[in-house]
Amino acid sequence: MRLEIANLTKRFGDNVVLDSVNLTLDGINSLVLIGPSGGGKTTLLRILAGLEHMNDGNIIINSHCLNCPEQELLEYRRHIGMVYQAYNLFPHLTALQNIVLPLTQVHGMEKRAAEEHACSLLERFHLAEHAHKHPAALSGGQQQRIAICRAVAIKPEYLLLDEPTSALDPEYTSEVLDLIEELHEEGMELVLVTHEMGFAHNAADYVLFIADGGIAAHGTPKDIFETRENPRVNRFLDKVLKYTS
Amino acid sequence: MPKKNLSPRLRDQTLQEQDGLQRKNPPRSSSQLRRGHFFRALFLRPVSPDSSPRQKDNRGILAFNTLLVVLLLSGLMWFGFSRLQYTFMWENVWIYRVNLFNGFLMTILISLGSLLLSTLLGVFFGLAQRSRIHILRIFSRFYIEIIRGTPLLVQILIFFYVIANALGVENRYTAGIVVMSIFSGAYLAEIIRAGVDSVGTTQIETAKAIGLTKPQTYRFVIFPQVITRVLPPLAGQFASLIKDSSLLSIIAIKEFTMAAREVNANTFSTLESYIPLAAGYLLLTIPISFLTKRLEKRFSYET
Ligand SMILES: Nc1ncnc2c1ncn2[C@@H]1O[C@H](COP(=O)(O)OP(=O)(O)OP(=O)(O)O)[C@@H](O)[C@H]1O
Ligand SMILES: [Mg+2]
Repeated sequence: MRLEIANLTKRFGDNVVLDSVNLTLDGINSLVLIGPSGGGKTTLLRILAGLEHMNDGNIIINSHCLNCPEQELLEYRRHIGMVYQAYNLFPHLTALQNIVLPLTQVHGMEKRAAEEHACSLLERFHLAEHAHKHPAALSGGQQQRIAICRAVAIKPEYLLLDEPTSALDPEYTSEVLDLIEELHEEGMELVLVTHEMGFAHNAADYVLFIADGGIAAHGTPKDIFETRENPRVNRFLDKVLKYTS
Repeated sequence: MPKKNLSPRLRDQTLQEQDGLQRKNPPRSSSQLRRGHFFRALFLRPVSPDSSPRQKDNRGILAFNTLLVVLLLSGLMWFGFSRLQYTFMWENVWIYRVNLFNGFLMTILISLGSLLLSTLLGVFFGLAQRSRIHILRIFSRFYIEIIRGTPLLVQILIFFYVIANALGVENRYTAGIVVMSIFSGAYLAEIIRAGVDSVGTTQIETAKAIGLTKPQTYRFVIFPQVITRVLPPLAGQFASLIKDSSLLSIIAIKEFTMAAREVNANTFSTLESYIPLAAGYLLLTIPISFLTKRLEKRFSYET
């Protein structure tokens, strides 16, 4: 994945969340965003997902330029996968229907073919028995895994995930992280916001620390989690890791 | 459940024990408990996820209880009438059966017409409150507030004698259908707006993220959920619409209520004129409840 951020600025009213951010990265397979609450991780991810317009600057990701009108953003969104913290699935549709909906309505697949494709995905991730259940009948972890299935079913260029495990009971966290890990090993490119530092350490090619109106620090997981040169990052990590052994 | 066989006192005790075990705070007094139990029995039937097979088992009980309710109500009515010492003279009213029937048909006609038209208005103005066009939003707000805040009687009079007259609408039946639709449409618009609002923003975000267009989002995400949620209030509104159409008699539309009033004036048999009226309205409103219950079941998705 090639990412080029130039002078990116995003404001909500008077609140400048991202202030002239600059960054160029190349050859990254998994980018992980960490940082304190309210730092702007979600905002940056939503801009990367084409869900939010920037106020100034530009982002070029692979060949896509993201400072463009809504019509082009819609087209862009169709080729990437996005998974939120929770409530990703439509409650009136079964797991299978949730996966099939974008395939048939957005990507023009035949219903039969879409269902077969969805079923094989569910099978692969050991979710086949839940295909005909509604989200209300599924655990949080199952819901998130099905949401990830829906996102990858369209064979996206890359997958964006915003704290996919932070709304879950701890017991479900690992099953979701395992699935993400598996996808990553198969070569799916990821941009992930997470508070799971262990996972970030293992899975990331590159880490961005988002705070104080921009990218306060960045580097390889080794730089961030082992060398620990940046005092701002260290303060954050000390706090987050306080109760993990 | 074994609890059923215990005497009431014992049952209370076991309840108390259970309660004491579950909570750390001291068990409440038994009268308090009994009250809590009573309240739960009154209003809080446990919802089982698989309600359909259960309902079948209870069919006998259902029939028995229904019969009981019918008997109770009939008894009450019989008691009331026996105290009144009223002698029914159905023959007088029977002479006017054709008038009553024509009135009934007129009410059906007007109700059907305004049901359709008011649904269109309701959907339009319900959605228009989210329109990007500012003036349309304001207009919808005005429409809804004015119509819901003024008496139907006044609306009928103003519409018929001022607006319809100015527009050259001669046919009072057309005018009647239109004014009933405008009236009911305002309520439907609010019901539909509330329904659409109840679909969370995260779902709309998700729809956006998977690349659905706005119309697709409405079609595949919002509407299917809104339908289940608005059906019960819609049914209530439709039933009101049917009954409210009786006010159209003030612009000399010979609908059901007007017909009954005329029969009463001619025969002086008040109850014999009005009891068929009540039965006739029930005949129209009960199918609506029935139909919406069935539709609700069909569209419901929560397992
Ligand atoms: N839609 C919005 N309207 C107004 N302000 C917003 C909006 N979205 C985010 N903000 C503000 O932008 C700032 C950054 O929010 P953001 O959600 O990106 O933080 P975050 O790093 O994802 O935090 P968290 O870890 O809590 O999810 C916050 O101050 C927030 O109040
Ligand atoms: Mg966030």
